[in-house]
Amino acid sequence: MVISPLRRKVLRDLARLWAQVLAIALVLAAGVATLILGNGAYASLFETRARYYEENRFADVFADVTRAPRALLGEVQDIEGVLDAEARIVKLGLLDLPGMVEPGSVLFVSLPDTGGLNRLYLRLGRLPEPLSAEEIVISDGFAAAHRLGPGDRLPVLMNGKRRELLITGVALSPEFIYALGPGQMMPDPRRFGVVWAPRAGLEAAYDLDGAFSNLVLKLAPGASTDRVIEALDRLTERYGGAGARGRTDQISHAFLDAELKQLWAMVRVLPPIFLLVAAMLVNMTLSRLITLEREQIGLLKAIGYTSRAVAQHYVEFVALIAVVGIAIGFAGGAWLGVGLAQMYARFFTFPYLVFTRDPQLYGLAAMITLAAAIAGALYAVRSVVKLPPAVAMAPPSPAVYRERATWLRRLLNLPQTGVMVARHLLRWPLRTASSTLGVAMAVAILVASLWSFGSIDRMIDITFFRSERHDAQIVFGTPEPLGAAFAARNMPGVMVAEPFRQVAAKISHLGHEKTLAIMGRPAEPHLSRVLDPVLRPMPMPEAGLILSEALADALQVRPGDRVTVALQEGRRATVTLPVSGLSVGYVGLGAAMEIGALNRLMGEGALISGVSLMIDDARTAEFYAAAKITPKTEMISVTTLMLTRFRETLAENITVMVTVYVVLAGIIAVGVVYNFSRIALSEQGRELASLRVLGFTNREVSGVLFGELATVVLLAQPLGWLIGYGIASAMAAAFSSDLYRVPFVVQRDVYATATLVVCAAALASAWAIRGRINNLDMIEVLKTRE
Amino acid sequence: MSDASNIVFRATGLTKVYRNGALEVHALRGIDFQARKGEFIVILGPSGSGKSTFLNIVGGLDRASGGEVWFEEHQLTALDEAQLTQYRRDHVGFVFQFYNLVPSLTARENVQLVTEIARRPMRADDALALVGLQDRANHFPAQLSGGEQQRVAIARAIAKNPEVLLCDEPTGALDSATGIKVLEALTQVNRAVGATTLVITHNAAIRDIADRVIRFADGRIIEETVNATKKQPSEVAW
Repeated sequence: MVISPLRRKVLRDLARLWAQVLAIALVLAAGVATLILGNGAYASLFETRARYYEENRFADVFADVTRAPRALLGEVQDIEGVLDAEARIVKLGLLDLPGMVEPGSVLFVSLPDTGGLNRLYLRLGRLPEPLSAEEIVISDGFAAAHRLGPGDRLPVLMNGKRRELLITGVALSPEFIYALGPGQMMPDPRRFGVVWAPRAGLEAAYDLDGAFSNLVLKLAPGASTDRVIEALDRLTERYGGAGARGRTDQISHAFLDAELKQLWAMVRVLPPIFLLVAAMLVNMTLSRLITLEREQIGLLKAIGYTSRAVAQHYVEFVALIAVVGIAIGFAGGAWLGVGLAQMYARFFTFPYLVFTRDPQLYGLAAMITLAAAIAGALYAVRSVVKLPPAVAMAPPSPAVYRERATWLRRLLNLPQTGVMVARHLLRWPLRTASSTLGVAMAVAILVASLWSFGSIDRMIDITFFRSERHDAQIVFGTPEPLGAAFAARNMPGVMVAEPFRQVAAKISHLGHEKTLAIMGRPAEPHLSRVLDPVLRPMPMPEAGLILSEALADALQVRPGDRVTVALQEGRRATVTLPVSGLSVGYVGLGAAMEIGALNRLMGEGALISGVSLMIDDARTAEFYAAAKITPKTEMISVTTLMLTRFRETLAENITVMVTVYVVLAGIIAVGVVYNFSRIALSEQGRELASLRVLGFTNREVSGVLFGELATVVLLAQPLGWLIGYGIASAMAAAFSSDLYRVPFVVQRDVYATATLVVCAAALASAWAIRGRINNLDMIEVLKTRE
Repeated sequence: MSDASNIVFRATGLTKVYRNGALEVHALRGIDFQARKGEFIVILGPSGSGKSTFLNIVGGLDRASGGEVWFEEHQLTALDEAQLTQYRRDHVGFVFQFYNLVPSLTARENVQLVTEIARRPMRADDALALVGLQDRANHFPAQLSGGEQQRVAIARAIAKNPEVLLCDEPTGALDSATGIKVLEALTQVNRAVGATTLVITHNAAIRDIADRVIRFADGRIIEETVNATKKQPSEVAW
C-alpha cells in the first residue's frame, strides 16, 4: 500500500507533536469516558431495574394497615385499575445473634403467593415449605454479612418471643434493592435483613390469624395511581391504614431514582465540558500549526493541490487526535464502568447488573467526540482554504500590537517583560479567554464535586449533633402508656429518657398533600430537638405545628398559614392547625408538635410511640441486651452505629470519587495549560531567545512565559469558583427529594482545594516545558527571519 | 598594535568544531585576534568562513572547542552558562540582520527592556536620540521601516553603555540608502559610547568606514588591513 505524502505528513506531525496531541486526546477521552460511563450506567441501572421489576412483578402501590381481615382483599382487587393485589404480613423483629452485641432488626415479610407480586429471586437453596412455621429465606446482603446460608439457624425475637428459624434459602427482591432498615440512613446489611417466611407462621407469631398488615397492588397499564390510592385509603381506613404509597414513595425505588437523577446530571454536565474544552484546544493548536506551516500550505497549493485537499489534510490530523482520544475514552469508560458497577453492588442488590456495552452508545460517543474535535478545527481550517498560494509563501505580516490600558500599566508598574506578557495575552483575546475558561472548567468540576462532602458533614452535624442528640431510640410495636418511658429510664445504662409520639398523618394545603409521621415531643425537648434556620433549638408550640423547610416548600406554606391535618391512626380526626414555625432538617419531611397536644388530637390518652435515650458509654452492651428482651421493643436504633456506617460508606466512596474528579480536572488543567504554553512558546520562542541574547537569564526568560500562564490560571480561579458554584447549586436542587435534602454549603476549603489541585496541574505542565525554554537556540534565532 | 592596557579582546588559537553525527565541521581553525578599546572593526568573508561563529564566541553566545578568548580580565572560554549570560548582560551589545525586536514592545520599550537590567544604562530616549529616532519612540516594530527597526536595535544594543558592540550583517536586510543610515548610526554610537565595535558583513563596500578590516576564509583570518583614513558612511556606496 502506498501512503500518500500528505498522509505521511499527518502521521509525522502526530509523532512530532505527540505531547500536545496526547494532552488534547486525554481531554477528549475524558469526555468519551464520562459520556459512556454516565449513559452506560444510567441505561444499565434503568434497564436492569425495569427488567427486574417486570420479571419479579414489582408492585405499584403499597399500603400498611394495623390489622385487616383477609376478606378485604377481594374489595381491594375490585378497585378500578387494580390488576392484582396481595395481602401480606410485614412486621419488624429483632435480631438475636450470639456474638452481635449491637441491636439489629429484621423485617419479616410473608412469602408471595405463587404467581404473586414482589416475587423473590432465589439465589441459594430453596423456598420454605408453605406450611412450615420455622423455615425462612433471608436476603442476600444480610446472609453475606453474617455468613449465613441454607441449613443455618437464625435466632430472632418475634413479637418479643425468641425463635430459632431455619434458613432454607437466600433470595433477593425488587422491593429491597436498596435495603434500608428502619431509622437507617445507609444500607447496613449487618444490622438489617429481610426474612421471608410462610404466612402461617407469621400469622401465628404476630396474632394475625386470617388477617394481614400490608397490601401490595399491581395496577393495570394506564391506571391512575392517585385514584387507586384514594380508593384504597377509603377501604383501609377503618383497619388502621396509614395511607398508601405509590412507587415514588417506596424507599428502595426512590433511592434508585435519586441515583439515576445523579447519573443523569453527570451525563448532562461533564461530557459537554470536556468536549467544549477539547474543541477549544483543537482550535488553538491547529491555528498555530497552520500559521507555522503557512509556507508549506502555499507550496502545496502552488504545485497543484486543491484547497480542499490541503484542508482535508488538517482535518485528518484532528480526526486522528480524536480517534486516539476515543480509543482511550472507550478503555477508560469501560474500566470506570466496572468500578461504578462495584460501587452499585455495595448499595444496591440486583440479581444481575448488566453494564451495557451497547455498540450504539459507543458509536454515538465516538461521533459526538469526533464532531466536537472537527468543529474545533473548522475555524482554523477555513483560513487554509482562504489562503491564496502567493500570499501564503510570503512571510505573514507582523503581529500588530497596540498600547492599551496604559493607566493599568502605570498602576502595576510593570517591567517591560510584564508589558510583553500583558500585550501578548491581549493580542489574542479569544485564545486567552478560551484558555482561561478551560482552566476555569477544571476548577469548576472540582468545586462542583467536592462541595458535597462538606455538605454531608453539615448534614451529619445538624442531624446528629444538634438535632437528634440521643444515643439510641427505642420504638415500640404499638403505642404504650407514658409509664413505658419511666421503665426505659430504669434500664441499665440509661441516663436520660425522653418520650415521643409518632402519628401518621396527611398534611395538606391548597391542593398540596404529603403523607408523613407527625412527631410529638415534650415542650422543651433535650434529646430529639428541632432547630430553627439559625440552628437554635425550638420549643414545641402549645398548639400548632413546626414544619421542616422541605415540607413547607412542598406544601407552599409559611408560618402563620393553616394546614389541614388528617390523622391516619386512631379515630382519624381531621383538624386544621396553624404553622407556628419552620425548622431545618435534611432527612425526610418533618412535622413536629407538642406531645400533649398530639395526644389530645388522638384522644387516646397519654401514649408514647417510643423513647429517645442518652446512654452511659461504658454500659452500652448492658443496655443493648436489656433493650432486646423488652417485649414492647420493635426496633432499637443506635446513633453512633448508624453514623459509623454512614461515614464508612461515605469514606469508601469519597476516596473513589475524589480520585476520579481530581484526575478529570487534572486532565483538563494539564491539557489547557500545556497546550497554551507550547503555543505561547512557539509564538514567542524567537523573542525569548532574543532576550537570552540580551543577557536575560533562563529564569527571567521563563518568567515571561510563566507570567502568561500564571495570569491565565489566576484569572481562571474566580471564574471557576463561580461556574462551580452554579453547577453545585443546580445539583443540590436536582438531588433534593422528599427522602433527603442536600444542604447547599460550599465551604472555603472546597475552593481552596480546587485551586490547589488545578495550580498543581498547571505547575506540572509548566515544569514539562521548562526544558524547552532552557534550551532555546540563541544562534539559530539570530540567523533566521521568522 | 597598541599597548596591552588598551586591549579589550584577545583570542589565541581559537577553534570551533561542530559535530553533526559522524560529520565534523571545522568552523574555526585557529584564530589569533586582538581588538583595542573603541576600535571599529569590519569583518569580511564569504558564507561559512567562520566569521559569525567567531562573533558568537566573542559575544558569549557560543563556546569554543579550543584556544582562549579573553575579554579584558575575563577568560570567556572558562565561563559557565550563567557567567556568560552575565557577561552579555553587562558588557555586550548585539545587532542582528533581522533586528530581533520584541514585536509587542514599542521602540522605547524595546530599549527599556535592556536599560531595566543594565548596571549603568543611559536613558532610553537618549539612546533613541543617538540613532535619530526620538520621534518614533512610541511606535511598535510593525509600524517602523526596516532601517528604523535596525536603528532601534542599535539603540537597544548601546543603551547599556556596553564595552563591545557586535553586529552581524546589520545592513544585510536593508537597501543601500537605509543601510547607510544604519552605518551612520553605528559609527556615531561608536564614537559617542566608545564601544569596541565588530561588524560582520558580506558587503566589501563597508570596509572603508572601519579602523581595521579583517578577512575570514575557511575558518581562518587570511588578511588584516588597517585603514589609514576612515571614510564617512555617506561617502560609501554599494
